[in-house]
Amino acid sequence: MSGLQGSPGGSGGTPWKLEVVSVSKRYMRDGKPLHVLDRISLGVREGEFVSVVGPSGSGKSTLFRLIGGVERPDAGSIRIAGRDVTGQRGHISYMPQQPALFPWLTVRQNIVSALTIARVERKRAVRLAEEWLERVGLGDVAGAYPHELSGGMQQRVSFLRALLMPRDVMCLDEPFAALDALTRTRMQAWLLMQWEASRRSVLLVTHSIEEAVLLSDRIYVLGKSPATVRREIRVPFPRPRSQDIWTDPAFTRLRADILALLEGNGEHDD
Amino acid sequence: MGGNRWRRALPPAAALAVTLLAWQAACVLFRIDPWLLPDPWRLVRYMADEASLLWWHLEYTLGLALRGMLLGSAAGVLCAVLFHALPAVRAALSPLIVMSQNVPLIALGPLLMVWFGFGLLPKMILLVLVCFFPVAWSMLAGLQHAEPKLREYLAMIGASRRQTFWRLELPASLPYFFSGLKLTAAYSFSTAVVAEWLGSGRGIGYFLVLQSRGYKTTGVFAAILCIVACSLLLYGLAAGVERIGLRRLRPGAERVKGGGAA
Repeated sequence: MSGLQGSPGGSGGTPWKLEVVSVSKRYMRDGKPLHVLDRISLGVREGEFVSVVGPSGSGKSTLFRLIGGVERPDAGSIRIAGRDVTGQRGHISYMPQQPALFPWLTVRQNIVSALTIARVERKRAVRLAEEWLERVGLGDVAGAYPHELSGGMQQRVSFLRALLMPRDVMCLDEPFAALDALTRTRMQAWLLMQWEASRRSVLLVTHSIEEAVLLSDRIYVLGKSPATVRREIRVPFPRPRSQDIWTDPAFTRLRADILALLEGNGEHDD
Repeated sequence: MGGNRWRRALPPAAALAVTLLAWQAACVLFRIDPWLLPDPWRLVRYMADEASLLWWHLEYTLGLALRGMLLGSAAGVLCAVLFHALPAVRAALSPLIVMSQNVPLIALGPLLMVWFGFGLLPKMILLVLVCFFPVAWSMLAGLQHAEPKLREYLAMIGASRRQTFWRLELPASLPYFFSGLKLTAAYSFSTAVVAEWLGSGRGIGYFLVLQSRGYKTTGVFAAILCIVACSLLLYGLAAGVERIGLRRLRPGAERVKGGGAA
C-alpha cells in the first residue's frame, strides 16, 4: 500500500479508481479544534470491494463527505480514476445509511431521477431502470412508492440506484446499519451476489466486522479520534463467497485480529 | 367512516339549531325590535327577497377576493423562491415585510386611495399585500426544511443547486405552499370587504356600509352571513385545490410533509 503515498497507479495490477492520499480534517467544535482524520491514505482498485471498519465516531462519515466533495480536506487529496478531484462533486455514486428515496417518486422514477443527475439520457435511464429492477427481482414494485416497501426492499432500490449510476466509485455508507439482524443478513447475501455479478469498484464503510470480511477484498481498520489507518488487511477467502465463511476458523481468527485492532485504541462503544 | 362523520357533525349541528331556536324565541317573547336584533326567520325572508341584489354585490367581492388570492399567491411563491435563492435579499427585506404586515389595513387603505385613486388598483394592492404573506412565509419554510437526508444524498451524488431545487426543495415545499394558500383564502374575502369600505360603488362591503349607516340591522346581518359563507367557500376551495394538487403533484406522499422517507 506504500504505492499510494507517493505516485500510485500504473505500477502493477489493475489501476486505482479511488485514491485518498494523506487526507486530514479537523473541525472547530465549541471553540476547540477537533481532529477527525489524520493523514488517512487508502484506495480502491478497479473492480475491487474495499471496506473501512472503525469504531463509531471514527470519522467514517467525514471521510465519505470528503470523497463526495461535499467538504474539502485540510490537507491531502482525493483522486478518482487518476484525476485530482479534491472538493469536486459528482464523481461517485452513493448509498446512504437511510435509503433516502424520494417519497413522491415511484421506485422507477427514483432511479431515473438519480441517473439523469449523472447525465444519463432520460430514455436510456428508464430502460436501464426497468431492465435492472426486473433483473434483481424488484420488477413488481417498479411502480410502487417507497413507503409501500419494507426497509430491506427500500435498501435494495437504493443499492440499485447507486449501482446504475455511471460513476467510477460506489460509496456505501453503513447501508445495513438500520436494518434488523435477519434482514441485514439477507441483504448482505443479496449485495454479495449483485456485486459479484457486476464487479464495480466499491468503498464500504461499516462497523460490522463480519460484514466487512464477507464482502471485501481488502479492509482498512481505522483507529479512533483522530482516525488513522491502523492496518490494511487482505481478505483471503476466494470468490464467489457465501455466508458459510462465517463458520470457517480462518474467519474467526481474522475477526479476532480486527476486533483486537479496534479495541487496542480505547473503548469500542458498540 | 361515513357513520363516524355524521356522528361528529351532530353535536355542532345540534348546538347551532338550539342557538337559532333560542334566538327566535327571545325575539318573539321579548318583542325585540328588528332594527335592534332581527330574528332568524326575518333574516331568511329578507335574504330570499333580496337574493338578486345580494348576489350582485357578492359577485363583485368574490371576483376581487379571487383575483387578490391568485395575484397574492403568485407574488408569495416568487418571493419565497427569491428569498430562498438569495439569502442576502431575504436578510435585508424580511424585517421590512414583517413590519408591513403589522400596519393596520384601516390605516393603509386610505393612504393607498390617496396615492392610487378610487379605482381597482388600490384595492388590488391591499389584497395582494395581505394575501402574499402567508404563502410566501409558509413556502419559504417548506423550501428550507426539505428533508436533510435527501439534501445530503443529492449533495453526495453531485446534484447542482438547480437540480436540488426542482427535485427536492420545490416538491417538499408543496404541502407548505398549500397551507399558506388556505390561510390566504381565509383572509382574502374579509380583506376584500375592507377594501370596499374604502370607496366603492359595488360589493358586499359597500352594501354593508350602506346598511349599517341606515341602521338597517337586518341588512347588516344578511351581509355578515354572506361574508362568512363566502370566506368558508374560498377556504373550502383552497382545501380542494390542496387535495387535488398534492395528489397529482406528489402522488404517494400526500401525508408526508417536507419529504421525509416513509
